[in-house]
Amino acid sequence: MFLSVGVRFEANVEALNMVETAGNYTKHRRVPYLVEEDGKLKTVYVPALSGESLAHAYQEHLAREALSIGLPVCDDCRRNEFFKSMNKAHLKKKIDPIPEDPKKIEEAIVKACVIEDVGGFLYAEKPPVRRTSAFQVSYALPVKSAALFATSEPQLHARHAQINASSKKGNVSEQMIYYVETGTALYGFTFNLDLDAIGVSAITSGPILEEDEIKARREVALKALFRMLSSSQFGAKLSRFFPVGGITELVITVTEHPFVVTSPIYNNYIDRTQKRLAVLKEFGEEYFFTVADENKVPEEALKEAIDYLREKGAF
Amino acid sequence: MTFFLKVIIRPTGIVALRALPQSKMRTALRYIPPTTLIGAIAYPLLHLKGSRTETFYNKRNFRSAAENVLRLFNWVTVKIEGKPRLYGSLLKINTIYRGKAQSAVTSFPFAVMYGEADYSITAIYLINEEELSKGPYTLRDIERAAWGMVRIGSRESVISVESVKKGKTEIEEMQETRTAYAFQFKDVEVEGKGTLQSVVDWRSGIGDYSKAKHIIMFYPEGIVTVRGNLKVAKCGEEVIILAS
Ligand SMILES: [Zn+2]
Repeated sequence: MFLSVGVRFEANVEALNMVETAGNYTKHRRVPYLVEEDGKLKTVYVPALSGESLAHAYQEHLAREALSIGLPVCDDCRRNEFFKSMNKAHLKKKIDPIPEDPKKIEEAIVKACVIEDVGGFLYAEKPPVRRTSAFQVSYALPVKSAALFATSEPQLHARHAQINASSKKGNVSEQMIYYVETGTALYGFTFNLDLDAIGVSAITSGPILEEDEIKARREVALKALFRMLSSSQFGAKLSRFFPVGGITELVITVTEHPFVVTSPIYNNYIDRTQKRLAVLKEFGEEYFFTVADENKVPEEALKEAIDYLREKGAF
Repeated sequence: MTFFLKVIIRPTGIVALRALPQSKMRTALRYIPPTTLIGAIAYPLLHLKGSRTETFYNKRNFRSAAENVLRLFNWVTVKIEGKPRLYGSLLKINTIYRGKAQSAVTSFPFAVMYGEADYSITAIYLINEEELSKGPYTLRDIERAAWGMVRIGSRESVISVESVKKGKTEIEEMQETRTAYAFQFKDVEVEGKGTLQSVVDWRSGIGDYSKAKHIIMFYPEGIVTVRGNLKVAKCGEEVIILAS
């Protein structure tokens, strides 16, 4: 089974994905947006969140959900340091001595850690062993039609230090001024999850785990996504720049084989997705489709998807 | 007669194609190489048969599972409407590892397909019916797989397939044609604008690129006129040029 989710969310005054710090100025991630003006193309930079940033947040939720029902998560991933058994030093913590056979290496990693099972890994030694992530996430970009209204503006902040008169010397300042660039936009992103990849070897194609554990891992993989969306716990600087807004629209599809919803950065994405899904009927394939908009809250739509997957025996 | 599939793809805004596989840094491709197009359709195709295999190990050599479906295609090519921009901001990465703070500056370039115009990517797959007849896949499977392509390049590059059309074509030889699709830049004369890009020759294998053969592809900007001893296939209204 394959799950694909398109999410639109409004975020006002957010600092979810910062890059480059120049002195006391922290910049928001931005991407070029090409617009035509008087027959000439020009570039406007709009705020964006990287797929890597969203993927990191998802894996943090996954670690927490997995641990809460006693599924294994390795020490590195538990600390949200997703090194993913990248070399001998990290792999040794899971299996020592390290086997020669790539199949045994994969098996040891998958058994030891739900994050690396679902999120993939690359053991970059000889022989290299790789496992592609079972989930994919796009960049979150401003919805195209409203992208020109998206802003990234520096906000002035001051940090104070207490300095008594006797210790005050030279140019020590009582105030440190800094700027944080905050973004405001209606964003859209796509998240896919290939449930059939969980607990299954990317080398032999056979199951590595017992069926019960595979089902349990599929369920936490889904719950982690739903937790991330309904709690809006993704991106950085949430403690002081928690964005004002929330999910405005959400589309979910579940298909037997891979299928991706049309990106929510396009205005007609709900209709497009539904029309494209109808084609799958011609292939004799069943599917699930739901939309959360003004009539349905995201949590209801997410619950429907869980119920459908349970009914289909995914977990 | 040869079957072809014409697949219209919508990007989610960013296409991250690393020039060096398994490297996250510094170099990115602006246009989609054939290896990526094969990889994109291989994953849903293998999925249809319940195969989760990504890598084969032959003693210490390893190959991509996409090689299993490689021969199903005589040729693949792509047309891109809108000129992608390469962009990579500088990132300062601070990590705390084992109590020590580490700092590094890096960049992660990618092709951005985002703007007012709707960027559209059209891929054409020419199918090798002789290989197809040997099983286990049917033309129907390849068509379903095309609808199930999930990404082009690395994992941020999620895509959706908006339309899949199939048709029949004949491969003809001619001296001159006009095309919007990428073609091999070898012994040809081109009139029009475009970009040259060195890519891995997918026919020599997918997966281990350290010793792979490269070919030069021409990615047209709009439609260009090409002259030479050409092998050409008409796919609907459009024309593609096959490698010699
Ligand atoms: Zn781990």
